[in-house]
Amino acid sequence: MFEGVFTGLSTALMPFNIMMVVVGCFAGTFIGMLPGLGPISAVALMIPITYTLDPSSGIILMAGVYYGAVFGGSTSSILINAPGCASTLVTTFDGYPLAQKNQAGKALALAAYSSFCGGTVGAIILIFAAPALASVSLSFQSSDYFALMVLGLTSVAAFSGKGQVIKAMMMTVFGLMIATVGNDVITGAPRYTFGQMDLVDGISFLLLAMATFALAEVMMTIMRGKMFSTSETMQPVALSSMKLSLDEVKEVAPTIARSSVFGFIVGVLPGAGATIASFLAYGLERNLAPERLRKMFGKGALRGLAAPESANNAASTGSFVPLLTLGIPGSGTTAIMLGALIAYGIQPGPRLYVDHPDVFWSVIISMYFGNLVLLVLNLPLIPYISRLLAIPPQILNPLIIFFSIIGVYLVSFNTFDIQMMVFITLIAVGLKMLDFPMAPMLLGFILGGMLEKNLSRALVVSDGSFDFLWNRPLTFSIMCITLIILLLPWLLNLGRRLGTRLLSAAD
Amino acid sequence: MNLTKDRFGGLLFLLVSATYGYYAADIPLLPGDKFEPFHAQTMPYWLSSLGIFFSFLLIGLKPAPPSENESISNSNLVLMLGLMAFTFAFSIALPWLGFPITTSIFLASSYWLLGERRLKMLLFASVPFALVFWLLLTEVLDVYIAPARFIFW
Repeated sequence: MFEGVFTGLSTALMPFNIMMVVVGCFAGTFIGMLPGLGPISAVALMIPITYTLDPSSGIILMAGVYYGAVFGGSTSSILINAPGCASTLVTTFDGYPLAQKNQAGKALALAAYSSFCGGTVGAIILIFAAPALASVSLSFQSSDYFALMVLGLTSVAAFSGKGQVIKAMMMTVFGLMIATVGNDVITGAPRYTFGQMDLVDGISFLLLAMATFALAEVMMTIMRGKMFSTSETMQPVALSSMKLSLDEVKEVAPTIARSSVFGFIVGVLPGAGATIASFLAYGLERNLAPERLRKMFGKGALRGLAAPESANNAASTGSFVPLLTLGIPGSGTTAIMLGALIAYGIQPGPRLYVDHPDVFWSVIISMYFGNLVLLVLNLPLIPYISRLLAIPPQILNPLIIFFSIIGVYLVSFNTFDIQMMVFITLIAVGLKMLDFPMAPMLLGFILGGMLEKNLSRALVVSDGSFDFLWNRPLTFSIMCITLIILLLPWLLNLGRRLGTRLLSAAD
Repeated sequence: MNLTKDRFGGLLFLLVSATYGYYAADIPLLPGDKFEPFHAQTMPYWLSSLGIFFSFLLIGLKPAPPSENESISNSNLVLMLGLMAFTFAFSIALPWLGFPITTSIFLASSYWLLGERRLKMLLFASVPFALVFWLLLTEVLDVYIAPARFIFW
């Protein structure tokens, strides 16, 4: 393992790769600050650039952007009460009240320190957990992979929020449907190409990611009439001192430690991700806090800010575990990274650890550097980076649209792709207006090919029978977990209803 | 039964799933594939069935409480559609007018559509940007960008 760590260290320490981390963190912070554009959009916007780089540098750049975007989201949450992404929504609960108390500098510093600690704890656990899981998963068979993919797809849907489970499942199916467009990977038969040569290779992952996230998000913001109007609201916020007193550090230290470990564990679960981790960590800290401090939650509690910040960063690191070891993305952002790795010809999964140790370890090591860059370089530069947002929205939005479409065009040099993007963006905007989530669709699309291949192999091996689902203990266990996760929201709801009924009967 | 947002979405998805399933029959199979446990049509048929099942579930279930009401005015809808139309026009014009001219026109017209009326800003934020970006691609990054077709007329 240590040999691998040194390989990763030497790759990550190459001057070009260090530059990629720094550039990624800056670009991510800037994009993440724009309300509406979160880490998924930020990483999607970077994909065309990474195609010109070697796999290690490309994935390092994307990891840097990911962290930067989460940090940028926290910044806009604290300064203007507008979370850049869902995972930093909880940051607004106590971050913005702190900024209103003229402690914006302290809130930003605490968010950065908490993120750094969360990321550090996450990276340390990842160094030990990822190789262990990777060696176990070397014994996985196609039926286990099929079950794992079903688990990943189901968890994303199950954790998508109240009233959204069925819609998320539908979007997963929709993503799987889109993945079938093009020549069949097994027999080569054309499917849903309708005689169009441009569709023979299927729909490009980059095109879909850019259309449904980057472009559709900008369009939704324009339609809501917000147009990234941060330039007006950003100005009045003055950053106060960024120093924390010793008492304050003592107060938040246990919170950060708890939330980091907790966040990492939640992040490892496929589909759970940083948003759920931050909400759960906030709730946990509020329950654990003494009565006096509990009242402060929502009014500018330092613990209330430290908990979600360390949890969401640790969870972001944790979400790399299923991606790197099993080839199954745990979140929308890692789903995009999976697509990018596949485009490089690298198949994430247990073989990645054996075949491409440089990529495997350099990603893990660079994550730590990313956290360091955010703390050492980004934090002091926040007042200056935020000035970039003073670009008028009527100029900024067309530029984002331009970068989205040109990013796709420069990969294929086919204008049909731009037309396809327009078409998919319009569908995505319509679906967003009907409250359909996009991340499950992208995950379904990315996993679709692999899912079909593994299911086909498993069925051929078992002579067309589905008994592989219960004959092999590992496959059976994973399917049971899938079922539990799928039924959990309904079971909890049922329990709550029964409890309420019993209470009212007792009254 | 009211036609809520969810039910409308369910009906739409039902239509998509049914159409998807209908066209699954058009997927050509290799001789003997029909007797295999898994062939090119298998996955599409299962996905279509799953899609239809979830659509009925969404249509039949009690609709979820509406999410935060986001008012979308007609003028903003027109802005969005206008930008999409410009993007589509960009894709048509790109091979004919070339990268610098098409990009300049696209950016300037998009700025204008979103409310920028200062002529200086319209020109400075589009033409020099397009030229610098084009030079960066072709001269620095060595990316080949096809010249405008009208030059060869």
